[in-house]
Amino acid sequence: MILVNYLAAVALLCIGLYAVLTRRNMIKMVMGLSLMEASTYLFMISLAYRAGSTAPVLLNPPPGKSTQSLVHGNVADPVLQNFCLTAVVIGVAVTAVFLSVVVRIVQHYRTLDSDRVRDLRG
Amino acid sequence: MTIPALASLLPLPVAIPLAGGVTAPLLARVSRRLTVAVSLIALTGSAAILLLAAPTVFGGRVIAHYMGHWTPVHGQVLGVAFAADPFGLLVALAAAIIGGILLLYTLSELGGLGRRELGGYACLFQLLIAAVIGAALTADLINLFVWFEVAALSSYGLAGFFLERPIALESAFKLLVLTTLASFAVFIGAGLEYAQHGALNFAQLHHALAGHVTAPDTIALGLMLAGFATKAGLVPFHGWLPDVHTAAPGPVNALFSAIMDSIGVVAIARLVFQVYGTGSTPVLGLLMTLGIVSALLGAIMALAQDDLKRLLAYDTISQIGIIVVGFAAGNPAGVAGAVYHLVNHAAFKALLFLAAGAVVHRTGLTSLSQMGGLARSMPVVAAAFVLGSLSIAGIPPLNGYVSLSLIHEGLQQDHQTIPYLLTLASQVITAAALGRAAWLAFFRPRGQDYEWRERLRPGMLTGLVSLGACCVAFGAAGPLVLRRLMAPAAAGLLAPARYASAVLAGSGPIPVLRVPFDYGSPAELASVAATVAVAAVLAWVYLRIREPLPVRALRALHTGSANDYAAYAVTGILAVVAVLSLA
Repeated sequence: MILVNYLAAVALLCIGLYAVLTRRNMIKMVMGLSLMEASTYLFMISLAYRAGSTAPVLLNPPPGKSTQSLVHGNVADPVLQNFCLTAVVIGVAVTAVFLSVVVRIVQHYRTLDSDRVRDLRG
Repeated sequence: MTIPALASLLPLPVAIPLAGGVTAPLLARVSRRLTVAVSLIALTGSAAILLLAAPTVFGGRVIAHYMGHWTPVHGQVLGVAFAADPFGLLVALAAAIIGGILLLYTLSELGGLGRRELGGYACLFQLLIAAVIGAALTADLINLFVWFEVAALSSYGLAGFFLERPIALESAFKLLVLTTLASFAVFIGAGLEYAQHGALNFAQLHHALAGHVTAPDTIALGLMLAGFATKAGLVPFHGWLPDVHTAAPGPVNALFSAIMDSIGVVAIARLVFQVYGTGSTPVLGLLMTLGIVSALLGAIMALAQDDLKRLLAYDTISQIGIIVVGFAAGNPAGVAGAVYHLVNHAAFKALLFLAAGAVVHRTGLTSLSQMGGLARSMPVVAAAFVLGSLSIAGIPPLNGYVSLSLIHEGLQQDHQTIPYLLTLASQVITAAALGRAAWLAFFRPRGQDYEWRERLRPGMLTGLVSLGACCVAFGAAGPLVLRRLMAPAAAGLLAPARYASAVLAGSGPIPVLRVPFDYGSPAELASVAATVAVAAVLAWVYLRIREPLPVRALRALHTGSANDYAAYAVTGILAVVAVLSLA
């Protein structure tokens, strides 16, 4: 059931957002953002789903299907899956930068509490 | 040069700075001079190729290139397309040229950087410029998202680059949180659009959306607008902007304010005018509201700041708001004025941030209350700051006058009296804020002497003088610039069908748009005089009173907590989507 995917994506998004909005621990905020990111992947993959479809590979079609029927017919959307690959790569880079910034903040301020790292305000 | 040959050069302005950025850390191991030289050559080369395309494109022809020569089949574009329309080319040119000036300035101000730092800095700098040029030229939704992310990643690096002040780390964290949220919004929006129409190309999406805009399309538009508004720094997505600008050194501020923000503005303008069209959704009203709120809040917060760079950062929010108001007017005068103001903002805000950076560099002071009397010891910097302030205030014959008059004209043509008055009010407050800053920093008498830090170097003076010259030239030659550059740019935005057919056909004409502009319009001159007079009084009064209650309340809203700013941004995203879907 594809609906479950969407519900799971929304649930993940909400859990991640809850963490970002309410947790003051910066590591937990990064985890929340990672959860939200995972939910966008799940959402994209679910958008690419077609009922009863196969993988969009035209060589060596599975038994009972010809290349021609795949071209005209029922395959999962490869473009949305590509989006996910792109976003996964970007997401890894962003998380790395995120965590290194948090590490440097902890070294300077000796705290993980985002509420105590707010010299800039007003 | 034939048009297909010209079009096939379009990826180069992006590829050259990318290559320069990748090689910079390697070159820095060999020699520092070499790194600087190669980086400058990369940006100059990029600008030169853009200039090569300029006569054709500003002559009223959109040219398109398909990556890997995957040309469209039956109106379907499978690959990524790059299309140079006058608007995109203008922003790309501004980014390449002003980026070059800023790089020269930085490497001169930060002459003491070590090899590794210099290599990393030159790399991030060029990546950011490449991302802006890519975003300005691309005609593909997911490619736009990728440039957004490239710019975001390099901005994280630049914001946290100079660790001598821990606040740089704090600001980098807020930038990361807000930009990551924005990237989710853009990503989901782009994915939804693709799932709806099976297309990513702007032209194909334009054709698909021309008939009917369904509910998922509207939600996608709202998400993407909110995401790009974060990059542009519109209220309520602006939490990162003042903090990042307070902590970073002058040239990085100038880069962020003048160049990086334009990614957001370009993307918003393209989506609204060239992809969705303005008729089917209440998007112009939404942009008008966002613009006016940003213009007013930015101006009021600027008036209340003590930190010089933070003041300028809030003013950036205000100016981006004014630009968005111009786009939201939706008529030729307003859109041409907005495009004009975007370019002008790049020039005068870069100038102001460089002047502020020079003050910090020379004296080591950041807060206005400790400064004073700097005009005597730093006359060039003082002159640059005053010139920039006068440009923003819209004093003829400087560049701000022309663009602001056009935006006013656009608002008055459609009898949008309340937006017009609110825009004027925000300008008065902006002028008062900058006047107050100029007085406190440069002209107020100050008793004790300064502890002078570093000297100003020739590269820094070159930067200040060339940006100042841009401000004067774009003002003095206003009607010419308008006719040759800004009117074609507005024409491309206001003729989405022509843009779409050109993107699919490889090239195509856009109609000629005549935007009348009267340099000596008595009404406009009177409004400038009134603005300056009221602003002077306001600045004088504000220097003498305690902080008023509304200002204190607004400051209290900017709590500095990443959680709060994330909450504002999420509320903003939901509100934008809700307004577009329900109204």
